[in-house]
Amino acid sequence: MTAAEAPMLEVRDLSVAYGVGRDAVRPIDGLSFTLRQREIVGLIGEAGSGKSTAALALMGLARPPGHIVGGQVAFEGRDLLAMDDEALRRIRGRDIGIIVQNPRGALNPMLKVGRQIGNAYRAHNKANRGDGKRRAIDMLRMVGINDPERRVDAYAHELSGGMAQRALIAMALSSMPKLLIADEPTSGLDVTIQAQFLDQMWQTVQETGSAMFLVAQELGILANYCDRVLVLQNGHIAEDAPVRQFFAAPQQPYSREILRLEQDTAEGGIASGGTVKAGAEPLVRITGLVKNFPIKGSSKVVQAVHDVDLAIAPGETLGLVGESGSGKTTVGRCLVHLTEPTGGEIRFGDRNLSGLPATALRQMRAKLQIVFQDPYDSLNPRWTIRRILREPLDLHTELSRGEKDSRSRELLEMVGVDPGLIDRRPQGLGAGMLQRLNIARAIATNPSFIVLDEPTSVLSPRAVVGLVDLLRRLQRNLGLSYLFISHDLTTVRYLCHRVAVMYLGQIVEKGSVDQVFNDPKHPYSKALLAAHLFPDPGQRRVDRQDRRELEGEIPSPIDLPKGCYLASRCPSAKPECQARPQELTILPDGRSIRCWRVATGDLADQEGLQHAV
Amino acid sequence: MSAADLMGPTDEATTLPRRKKRDWLFGIGLTIVVVVVILAAIGPWIAPYDPTAVTPRIVEPPPSLGEIPGLLWGSITGTLEHPPHWMGTDASGFDIFSRVISAPRIDLSIALAANGLSLLVGVLLGLLAGYYRNVATGLLMRVSDVLQSFPVFISAMILVALAGRSTVNIIIALALLYTPIYIRLTRAEVMSQKVRGYVEAARAMGNPELTVALRHVLPNSLAPALIQASVTIGFAILLTAGLSFVGAGVRPPTPEWGLMISTGANQIILGEWWPSVFPGIAISLTVFGFAVLGNALERRYDGG
Amino acid sequence: MLVRYIATRLVIGVAQLVGLVIAVFFLIRLLPADPVSRLVGLNPSAEAYAQAERQLGLDRPILTQLLHYLGLAPEEGPGLLQGSLGISWVTGSPIVEEIGRHLPVTIELITLSFLIAFVLAVPIGMLGALKPGGKADRGVFIYSLFAGSQPEFWWGLLFVYLFFFTLGVAPPPLGSLSPLTSPPPEITGMITVDALLAGRPDTFVEALHHLMLPVATLVFILSGPIIKMVRQNMVRALRSDFVLYAHCAGLPRWQVARYALRAAMAPSITLIGILYGFMLGGAVLVESVFSLSGIGQYSVRAVLSFDYPAIQGVVLIITGISLLIYLALDLIHAVIDPRVAY
Repeated sequence: MTAAEAPMLEVRDLSVAYGVGRDAVRPIDGLSFTLRQREIVGLIGEAGSGKSTAALALMGLARPPGHIVGGQVAFEGRDLLAMDDEALRRIRGRDIGIIVQNPRGALNPMLKVGRQIGNAYRAHNKANRGDGKRRAIDMLRMVGINDPERRVDAYAHELSGGMAQRALIAMALSSMPKLLIADEPTSGLDVTIQAQFLDQMWQTVQETGSAMFLVAQELGILANYCDRVLVLQNGHIAEDAPVRQFFAAPQQPYSREILRLEQDTAEGGIASGGTVKAGAEPLVRITGLVKNFPIKGSSKVVQAVHDVDLAIAPGETLGLVGESGSGKTTVGRCLVHLTEPTGGEIRFGDRNLSGLPATALRQMRAKLQIVFQDPYDSLNPRWTIRRILREPLDLHTELSRGEKDSRSRELLEMVGVDPGLIDRRPQGLGAGMLQRLNIARAIATNPSFIVLDEPTSVLSPRAVVGLVDLLRRLQRNLGLSYLFISHDLTTVRYLCHRVAVMYLGQIVEKGSVDQVFNDPKHPYSKALLAAHLFPDPGQRRVDRQDRRELEGEIPSPIDLPKGCYLASRCPSAKPECQARPQELTILPDGRSIRCWRVATGDLADQEGLQHAV
Repeated sequence: MSAADLMGPTDEATTLPRRKKRDWLFGIGLTIVVVVVILAAIGPWIAPYDPTAVTPRIVEPPPSLGEIPGLLWGSITGTLEHPPHWMGTDASGFDIFSRVISAPRIDLSIALAANGLSLLVGVLLGLLAGYYRNVATGLLMRVSDVLQSFPVFISAMILVALAGRSTVNIIIALALLYTPIYIRLTRAEVMSQKVRGYVEAARAMGNPELTVALRHVLPNSLAPALIQASVTIGFAILLTAGLSFVGAGVRPPTPEWGLMISTGANQIILGEWWPSVFPGIAISLTVFGFAVLGNALERRYDGG
Repeated sequence: MLVRYIATRLVIGVAQLVGLVIAVFFLIRLLPADPVSRLVGLNPSAEAYAQAERQLGLDRPILTQLLHYLGLAPEEGPGLLQGSLGISWVTGSPIVEEIGRHLPVTIELITLSFLIAFVLAVPIGMLGALKPGGKADRGVFIYSLFAGSQPEFWWGLLFVYLFFFTLGVAPPPLGSLSPLTSPPPEITGMITVDALLAGRPDTFVEALHHLMLPVATLVFILSGPIIKMVRQNMVRALRSDFVLYAHCAGLPRWQVARYALRAAMAPSITLIGILYGFMLGGAVLVESVFSLSGIGQYSVRAVLSFDYPAIQGVVLIITGISLLIYLALDLIHAVIDPRVAY
């Protein structure tokens, strides 16, 4: 990209309002920026800052009852907002394509996806129904859907979230738009698919001279693919900087805040909540954990977790990473016995949780807590914060009413929530604050161990920074141990001492963060790290020479392969891998790995991928 | 699914201030319902005539507009030989006004009692059926299916006529027919609530299962049934009146709106409209009031 | 997929009917009514009473009665399985015949009402949905709330007062035809249809004239929920993400409208079915006001005279028809909306 490229989209003073008169609010108020050819511009901002509204407004649309109240959106010199409806319609979908969030909702539930893609294509191209269908098949193939001839006849509800996302992408791209507006286009996708899609879009932009406006919540996406970063605040652009400049020297307080952890890490600051005593007796020890879910009307089972061993020392954070379906959440739930394990042993301190009678287990829960992924969902919506925080105290302590109240206020202060909010209900509070309340409730009874089940996955970048800070501080001050379950390797790197990588219910590699992140050994760990987008524009994925990915589909957890689970997708697989069940082997450097070729030194390092994190 | 998911891409929807607009419709609905409730409490006491006692004046039309001021003055000063018949009298000589304002006691208590009973039973069974899904609750749902497939009006008629035309029997019949609705609504809500994070959290905190069900799941599963109840109260009033109209409801001379419309029905062909029209207006407004209230509740609930 | 869906629904429907038959059978016998004394009059001799009881078959054990009714004891005469609903205790004629005479009157009344209500309500509901919260929408909304919560028998009486007594444009509420007109030969049982089939346009017009007020009453009552539903579904469809996205994809206006309309119609169809089933039994009050001898009037007579076989027959037939209508409309729904059968 050079500044000499022609401007494609010029936005001036764009405003969107909801309501009329004195009641009106303007989520977008005076938005201005320019987007050039061959450019990918990223938009970032707090949750609720109006990013989606902005993306939609670039097409001259607002979600009812909102409406655009002013400004210009000039596409190739013509103001979209001054055009008549028909002229605007011709541009939408043909010259400007959009990918919105909630792909399943954006697809018409009553039409086959092929018909919808065909309709979108035929709205802008001379084509009959058959042409439309052929186009749909081509597009579905292009976005990486297997068996597109069959999938064109599927309805939205028959597609998985990721598949629906790709169908929507196929529709947006069906007329090969010059400008693609993408509103968190990869939010429902696994990292490997996310990387594939963004690579492809990046390449398209470079080759065809189109442009892309990318709304993103993840710094990694901005750093890896965007040429420029826009920060949306109070309805307008607060910062507009080339990507390297943005990451190196952010101007706005907001930008500095969201990049703080990254800069700390780059400068070699503390990456976790304290040091762990070497050789300490583990606080939690899982041995041979197995969890199968029965399938209704079948004798088969879903093998969610298979032969997992983990040990977590006092004051330690163990990261558990893997893609969706890897079984990492099930491990966490088994650990706190919200799900009854099928087999294996879970020891907490000197007690075996599996044999414990119900009442004893309930008492144990004071020391063994869990925080869930969705903060909006995890607090009783009818209860005040006071009552929410009092509940664990009622269950596990003999404190008086007054003592419980002062303890609740103390907890709020510990997690950085204004104690003045104690009589509010969760509704209307932001995700970050709700997650802090969940943590306050979890630490109310002084537990020694907390399972953190993707606690940051729905949070905005700023809330993630705040939560990581909080978790580190609590660990330092209270000596907590965490099992941190996440698919976001960036956060894992900020928070964990050790990390275990899961694939299809098994741990494939386990070691220190340094070992796994800087020198992954297992082919799956390598692929996972290769697909991960680290928030560092100096290490862009698109600049890497080798971007090898795993091929093919993940095997079904109902009919697992006999040998190595990865064998069908592994770039280093040998015929023996198909037949030979893999054991978790400890390497001399202390890490464990489930790959016979690595363990026996058969897989030489030069075959692996190069990483410099 | 959390509220945030439902919002989808409208990430700003949560920050929009709710428009606070004076809702005059809701005001009307509330006023109607309050008046009816007050009449149910004191109607028979403030009635100028005994609602079940005949007067010597038969089919006397209501006073014309011009007569009203004089009659008002007269009733305040007490100079009239008998209290005016504001709504006229019917074929038996009953004072219609007294009966119209006394009727809520019957109509509303039937509607409230029937709904209260079915709400209580339905919510508890619904909680049970939603929380524990086994053979017993499966059977319960099949029974409730059969019950729900009954044609409502005819079934109510059968039950009341065969069991005996009494207030208590009407209440029991309506409660029986309404219970499956509440079971179904509550069960569905329980099933969607019991998998939510806060329920898991309550469990993870060490609450016994029964506490989780009663303190966390139940209160959060009541809304659909309560909204339904506010609408069904209105329909129960309609049904009660309808039963009386076909002669399968309360017995004359009980002051009940449907019965009054029914006794006036034969006269309307002759142009004597008042015995039927006034009680009809009362039902019409009352049920409308409950419908407005139910709708307001529904919207408040849907709007978060 | 669809065939399996239909089969499942049919099996469930039949099971439900069987459950219903048995439930009704026991329910009416458990209730403390005494049909025998209702038949033989007050203060009968013990002998007459016993004889009447024997005649009705009420002296036999209740399970024997049930088997007989179901047709599982064919040596005693035909039962349900043989297509018989029994003999009326009051008139002595077969219930099937009696219901066959009364049912078409109701079907005619409510079908006509539904058609008119639908034709009127759909555009009105859409009008409201076009600008949610606007003045028109507000008016439409209040009307639908009001009409949906009204005592239909009272409105029938009001209409009679207004259009018959005051204006004189409607016939008196005394049946489907004037007592002086000889009814057309019975083919379908619906007088309008039979009149046409017999080639008697004047009778057809007269029948329509008599149907005018009852139909108007039902149209008024029915328009409430239908408008409310059309409006609500249309608002929802117009605000749905996929309609917004259809705009994003630059689809022509007519196509976006088609997307929205289809989405709004699908859930409406189910509700229409429920409403129709409800009206089969619920039209009784309007029939009563206008002295139309429909199934509702028949059931009132059956109930008040404790005619058990007739009561059982009415409940069974009405429920059976309702279930069939639900099924048919669910099938249409499933064709429009593929998620249903999924």
